[in-house]
Order: sequence, then structure tokens, then C-alpha cells
Amino acid sequence: MDAVAARREGSVRWRLWALVPVVLLVGAVSLFVATGSSVTGLIRENPPEADAFEVRRVTFEPGTIEVAVTNPQQGDLTIATVTVDDAIVPFSLDGPHTLGRLRSSTIVVPYDWVDGEPIVVGVTSSTGIETAHEIAAAVETPGVSARSILGYGLIGFLVGVVPVAFGLLWLPSLRRSAPQWLAAFMALTAGLLTFLAIEALGEALERQAALPSAIGGAGVVLLGVAASYLALTMLSQQLGTREGGGAAPLGGLSLATLVAIGIGLHNFGEGLAIGSSFALGELTLGAFFVVGFMIHNVTEGLGIAAPAAEQGRSVSLRRLAVLTLVAGAPAILGTWVGGFVINDLLGVLFFAAAAGAALQVVTEVGRFVARRAPGGLTSPYALGGFLAGLAVMYATGLLI
Amino acid sequence: MSKSGVTRKQLLVAAAPVAAAVPLGRYAVGAAAGVERDAAHLQAGARVGHAAMIGDAVPAPGGPNDLDALLHPPPALPYEPGRVREYTLVAEDRDVEVAAGVTFPAWTYNGTVPGPVIRATEDDLLRVNFVNGGSHPHTIHFHGIHPADMDGVFEVVAPGDRFTYEFPARPFGMQLYHCHATPLKKHIHKGLYGAFIIDPKEPRKPARELVMVMNGFDTDGDGTNNFYTVNGKVFYYAKYPIKVRRSETVRIYLANLTEFDLVNSLHLHGEFFRYYPTGSTDRFEYTDTVMQCQGERGIVEIDFHHNGLFMFHAHQSEFAELGWMGFFDVSD
Repeated sequence: MDAVAARREGSVRWRLWALVPVVLLVGAVSLFVATGSSVTGLIRENPPEADAFEVRRVTFEPGTIEVAVTNPQQGDLTIATVTVDDAIVPFSLDGPHTLGRLRSSTIVVPYDWVDGEPIVVGVTSSTGIETAHEIAAAVETPGVSARSILGYGLIGFLVGVVPVAFGLLWLPSLRRSAPQWLAAFMALTAGLLTFLAIEALGEALERQAALPSAIGGAGVVLLGVAASYLALTMLSQQLGTREGGGAAPLGGLSLATLVAIGIGLHNFGEGLAIGSSFALGELTLGAFFVVGFMIHNVTEGLGIAAPAAEQGRSVSLRRLAVLTLVAGAPAILGTWVGGFVINDLLGVLFFAAAAGAALQVVTEVGRFVARRAPGGLTSPYALGGFLAGLAVMYATGLLI
Repeated sequence: MSKSGVTRKQLLVAAAPVAAAVPLGRYAVGAAAGVERDAAHLQAGARVGHAAMIGDAVPAPGGPNDLDALLHPPPALPYEPGRVREYTLVAEDRDVEVAAGVTFPAWTYNGTVPGPVIRATEDDLLRVNFVNGGSHPHTIHFHGIHPADMDGVFEVVAPGDRFTYEFPARPFGMQLYHCHATPLKKHIHKGLYGAFIIDPKEPRKPARELVMVMNGFDTDGDGTNNFYTVNGKVFYYAKYPIKVRRSETVRIYLANLTEFDLVNSLHLHGEFFRYYPTGSTDRFEYTDTVMQCQGERGIVEIDFHHNGLFMFHAHQSEFAELGWMGFFDVSD
């Protein structure tokens, strides 16, 4: 007993010891900061900072332009003058004149802008550096109104929920197909998802590159990918335990649910992109565009239907409705968030999360095909199905 | 339901990343509403267009009398044989405020851009003591007639050194001076220039005399001007209109020391004026718009017919809207 107590007491002491590195670090950092630039000054003087603003958002209302800017650099940055189309304009600020690191202000300019014409907004720092931001076409920014909420919601519904529901209608036909063909369709699902994952990853990387270096970085993308991949791994583990299979690969409705979640995250990102591009006037949401997305996304319904068909029994309509909503409804949420909120960092994280989720589901589907499909992963049906999935995605993507 | 099914709880867990976006969204929408409130406030109070570009609403730097020394030249002196006119010019590096809140790391003569007005009567002996207190080699190159060794081209003055320029002031007219060290474009656009008036021996008729040096400032170093001014401060004479009397002739000594842009111009509203190119002859043109190339200069004489606010500006609209615009306030 005494020995155990002593060890416990000792362990408390060593736990306290764990604080020592932290205390030392705080001390060393404070000391370094207190010396100012005298250490780096031994090498050379720091060059002046770029003094460029990050223009986060430009919104147009009748008679007014609003420009949200952030200071992406280490030192302070002061908003001194504002130009619109190379003309100095009076402005007011919602926020501070001098911005600390990563602080933001909104510049409000009374301005009679011309609808549909390009416009350049410039913000000049107190050091005379002008950050010019070009908007391809000035159009009134939709505010949050019942009309616009309904409009975005309907677009999200059309490109997300409707095609997935249609795709699920392939379920009865799939259930009656031969096992090797079902395996082919499962592989097709994996192909679709791989394609979506790569697309989302590309989008996430592209978006993070546009962020100020202080908050961007490829690491942000990895964070999003890893978080969603691991979260879905945990979920599939739980679903697997419920099935009672232990280490057995997921199949049937559980796998279909997982696929639906992966697709749902992707559709959220898709909605986000549609909503924000439309709100910023970078996108013409024509009929062709929406139709393109619908055809593209019908294949997603097929992707959910394939694993569901593997389940021997019939699936209730209610269950199918839930799957449709899980996969499709996030597109509605996405258009709302993209249309009304628009946060670049949020966009990066969501696209990364979509990529991670899709990759995880590909892993699950792959495990399933490997163990249960006739001929396994290397059967011509599986290989052909996978390639067909990629090709279908590419081909329907051309419509957008 | 079925044993392989998913519970609602599991669906909720799966939807967590999506659900997390909702409070974030609400936060951002709240912030946007704050902006709208302020914008409405601003719209109610402010005027738009040129009406907003006069008086206190103008985004111009400086106080009401800051540019007096540059706008009002020293008085012309009647001719007197053998007189010496002595000036001291010190080159100094100085941050100057060129637009509201925007400082420019300028190279100056005596701390201002443009430098001080130098004035002499024809055949006065001009003596300019030049001290280089800056961080780079500089010179002073005067326009006019003088010996080659007084030309400010070969006699480069190192930082800390000094040089005395001495020559008879010739010919009468509106001249100018600027640094001629290389790289020339850099030394001029950084601010080393000013007006140099040589009065004729036969005095000009009395007038309200003003000096306007047109220039530009490339504050971000990209080889194009960010701001245009007369006498160095954006929209200064829009914020503080120049008060003149209708009964007196207004004489403007006008020079163009803009870099990067080939020409600059002056256009006066509601009035015509006599323009004497270089001011060295009595030949003039009757017009309301005059164009000057880099280094070109002349004398403008206005007899106002009407009282009121009359705008003057570069007729290059982009120069006008980037700061080169002001008003005469004419009254009896």
C-alpha cells in the first residue's frame, strides 16, 4: 500500500513537472519579445511589410458600395483613402481605421454605381500602398429576405434533393441485377465518390491559396480532410458494431447511409459554391447551369442506390426519403450559407471536409467490394465500374 | 426499425459539421445588419458627387493655411542693377502627407513638395546655397540661361556636402528648378522640384499672384501616380477654396512637374484666361484650358466676370478625381 501511495504521490509531482517546459517556454518567449528586433537585427533590418489589405467582400446596394477589408499582415494597417474606378471618394467606416492583425472593417461608400459594368475598388494604406480589387460586373447584392431565402432554397432543392431522389429510383432495378453487376455498380459508386473527392480537394486547395497567408495554408485543408475522414471512420465503426459484424465491412443500408453522408457533405460544398458565386455576381445562374447540376447529381442517387440494393430486403420509403435528404438537403443549406454569409475560411474547411468524407466512403465501399463481390476488387466488373464512375462524372460535369 | 438501420441520433452526429455552420452564419448576418444601419446614417447626411467635394467633407489633408508659402510667391522687386538675391535650399528626406492620412516618403527642398518659390528680377545675381541634408546625392538644375558649370548636372552634391549656384537670372518668365541626379525619374517624382519666377525689368501690371505646381505622387512605387495635386496636397483647394476679388487680375504661375504621365492640364470653369507660354514674351492665347508637357510652364491671367465658386482642375478626368481639383471663391 505504501509503495503505491508513494508512487501516486510521485506521479503528482511528475505531473507538475510537466508544467516546467511550458513555464520555461513562456519565459523564453517573453524575453525574446522584450528584446524587440535586437536579435533579428544582428542579421539585417526587416524589410517593410507589403501593407496590402485583403478585400473580403464587396456588396452593392442602390447608391452604396460596401467593402469589407481585413489586415492579413503582422503589423498594423491603416485605411487612409478609398477610390472607386480610380477616383477618390468620401467614405465612412464600420470598424476601426487602424486594423490590428486579422482585424476587419467595412468601408461604406455612397456611390452611384452602374449596373452590370465592371468596377474597381481601391483601398490605400497610410503608407500609400493601394490594394485594388476588381469586380467583373456590379450587381445588387441580394439581402436576406424571404424571397431570396426561398430562391436559394429552391435552387439547392433542384440541384441537390431532386436528382438524388430520381437516382434512388434505380433501386428496384439494381436489386434485381446479377451479383457481378451489382458489384460493378458499387465500384461505380466508388468512382463517383473518388471523382468528387478530387474535385473537392482541388477546390479546397485553390480557395486556401487565395486566403491571406496568415490564415491560409495547405494545412487547413489537411485539417478539414482529416477531421471529416476520422469522424466518418468512427461513425462507420459504430454502424458496423450495430450490425454486429465487428471488423466486417459495412454493407447494405449502413453503407448506403455512409455514402449519403459523404455525398451530402459534397453537396453542401456545391451549394456553398453556387450561393457565394451568385451572390458575388461571379456566376450566371442560367437554366443550363441548373440543368447541368441536376444531371450531374442524378448519378449521386445511383451511388446511394447501389449499396442499398445489396440489402436483401426491400427498403422502406421513409428510409429512402431520409437518405435523399441526408445526401441532397445540404445543398440547400450550402446555398444559404454561401449566399448570405460567405466566409472564405469556412469555404475551404467545408470543401476539405467533403473531400475527406468522400475518401472515407470510398474506403468503405472498397472494403465491401473486396470482401463480398464475386471476383473481388480486381474483377473486370469492379474495375470497369470504377472507371465508368469517373467517366460519368467527367462527362456530366461538362454540362455545368 | 430494421436492425441494420441508423438511429436519428446517428444522423444528428453525422450532420454536426453542417449544423455548426448555422450559428456561424447567424453571427455573420448580425454583423452585416450593423453595417446597414451605419450606411443609412451616412446616406442621410452626406451629399454625393461634386456637391460632396467642397469644404469640410472633402478628403483632403492639412489645415487652412498650410500651403500659403507655396501658393503666394514672395513679392516682385523693381529692377535694381547689381542686386544679389540669395536663397538657401536644404535637401531633406521627409514624410509628407499628400492625401488624407497617406504619407509619402519624399525627398524635399526645405521640407515641402514642391520646394519653396524662388524669385528674382531679370539680371539680379541669383545665389542659391544648396546643402544636401538628404541620404542620396542631389543637385539643383535651374531652367533658364546660365553657364554650364552652374547647370546642376555634373556638380553632384554628396550627402552632407554643399554647393553654391550663382548666375544672373535670365530670361524673365516662369522657370522651374529640379534635381538632376540619376535616376532622374526617381529624384524628380520623390519631390525635388519647385517654381522659379524671373520678373521682367519692366514690372508686370499689378495682380493677385499665385503659384501652382502640378504634380503627382506614386505612393506605391508601381510607376504610375496614385494621386495628383497642385502644390502637393490632394483636393486641398477644394477643401479650402482660394478667395479672390472680381476687381483684380488673378495671375497664376503654372508649371507641370508630374512624372510618369506625359501631360497635365488646367481647365477653369465659367471663365476664359490669357495664357502666356513660359511667360518670356507677351504672346498669349485666350482659352479656358491649357495643356503642359512634363517641365512645361507658363503664366495664366484671369479677369473674373462673375462672383461665385468656380472649379479648376486637370481636364484629364482621372487626375481631377485623384486629387487635382479646386475652387476659386470670387467675390466683390
